Order: sequence, then structure tokens, then C-alpha cells
Amino acid sequence: MSAPTTAAVERWVEAPIKQFVDDARVLLALLLYPSGQVIAQHGFARAVDVMSACALAAAINASSTELGKQLEGKPFRGLHHAGRARQIYLADVSTSRGSLIFLTVFDSDSSLGLVQLYFGEFQQRLAAAAPAPAPDARVLPQNFEGELNRNLAQLFGRI
Amino acid sequence: MSSPFSEMLASLIRQRGVLGSMVVSESDGIIIDSNLQIGVRGQAVAALAASLFRKARLSARAAGLGEAAFLQLEAPNGRVCAAGRDDLVLVTVAESRANVGLIRVEMLKAMGALTL
Repeated sequence: MSAPTTAAVERWVEAPIKQFVDDARVLLALLLYPSGQVIAQHGFARAVDVMSACALAAAINASSTELGKQLEGKPFRGLHHAGRARQIYLADVSTSRGSLIFLTVFDSDSSLGLVQLYFGEFQQRLAAAAPAPAPDARVLPQNFEGELNRNLAQLFGRI
Repeated sequence: MSSPFSEMLASLIRQRGVLGSMVVSESDGIIIDSNLQIGVRGQAVAALAASLFRKARLSARAAGLGEAAFLQLEAPNGRVCAAGRDDLVLVTVAESRANVGLIRVEMLKAMGALTL
């Protein structure tokens, strides 16, 4: 069985995400735009799994952000769910490229405390590495599927 | 706000050279209660020390040595001590000049109160 790999659509996120995975000993990591467009992944074997995880993470983030605003007047900072064997941690990352969503999955080799600790360092590294926003880099609804497929193909080596 | 551990943590922080003391969840690495001097990075120490204690406990068990009860980590500028049971870890951060024997006794004594 080959070791899980890290792949990024945008080169500047690769080093911070690799560092986070090494430090926090997580199983899966995913960085995406709030629209659901993937930026980088670690540990996923299939493009369809990345696509599903991105769609779900974007939806969960949208719901929890709105719930936070309703309850506290501001979005929740992070979301943790503990399953029987695996746990997820989902949080926002602010960069000069705008707000991004980070999803990670870990088991008993790591812990929520370690994930939160290294997530803080990951945020700082990502913010420091982020280039200036690209002019008009928005993904238009009519281009969404094409952009999504292009990014997934890039991550899984079909370009 | 006081917790069932406040008194125990207060008695540990009174020891000479102790910089902080925390009760941490072993599986989560999250602080349950703490008494820390300013400058101690509680959350970072808690997450790392709980992970270290868990791995030490599992190593001791794998080696057939039984349950690890006490862990002491020495560094150039001080020590981290950890003792645990029932998914709770008592972590103490101390300067080099601290009397580690006394801290160990106090921590093992405090283990009696270490239950949820």
C-alpha cells in the first residue's frame, strides 16, 4: 500500500499543509474555498471522495456559520465531531485570498488538542504564504463544474 | 470558577519552582482545569504532554511493564511531569531549581482526587 500523498492545486498551500499533517499526525486534510472548490488535499485516494468531502464541508460550514451568527452574532470558529474511531475538525482560515475552509480527519494517534494546536500554526503559515489576491479570480456559477473537474484532475494527476 | 481539581492544583502551584499545573483529558489533550503562571503556554503544553503520557502508557503496557503512573521529562530549563489515570492526566511544569521529589510526591498524592 502506498503512503498517503499531499497534492495542491495552488502551490503556496502545499508546504503549510504538509507541515500540518506531519505535526498533527492526521489521516486526512482538505483545504477548500467556501464555494466547495478544492485547493489541496492529503490522504484521499479518489477524486470522487474529495468532491463529496468538499461539498459536505462547504455545506456544514455554511450551516454552522449561519447558526453561529444567529446564536452569538458571529460565525463559530471551529467545529469538532468525535466518532467512535475517527474525529473531524472543520474550521475557517483567513488569508489574503479570502476565507478558506479546512477539514481534517484524525484518529487516536492524534487528539483534538494537538489538532487545534497545530491548526493555529497552520493558519499563521498559510497567511504568511498567501500571495496577493488574483484579479477577478472568482469562479462563476456557470464555470463551477468545469473548474471543479479541472482542480480534481490536477490533484489526482490527470493533467 | 472552582472545579473539583482547583484545590489540588493550588497546592501544586505553591511548590517552589512550579510554573503551572493542569488537569488534562488524555484522549483529547484539552485542559479541564489549570493553575498557570503568566507565560506558560497551557494549551500547547497540555496537548503535547497528554499525547506524550498516552504514548508512554501504551509503550509501558506493550513492553509488559504494566501501567505507567508517572512520567518526567527533563529539559535544559526545566521539567514537565505527568501522572494519570481514568483518561485524566495531571501535568506540572517546573523550573530546574524545583524539588522534583517533592513535586512527584504531591502529584502522586493528588492522584487520589483525580477522578471525574
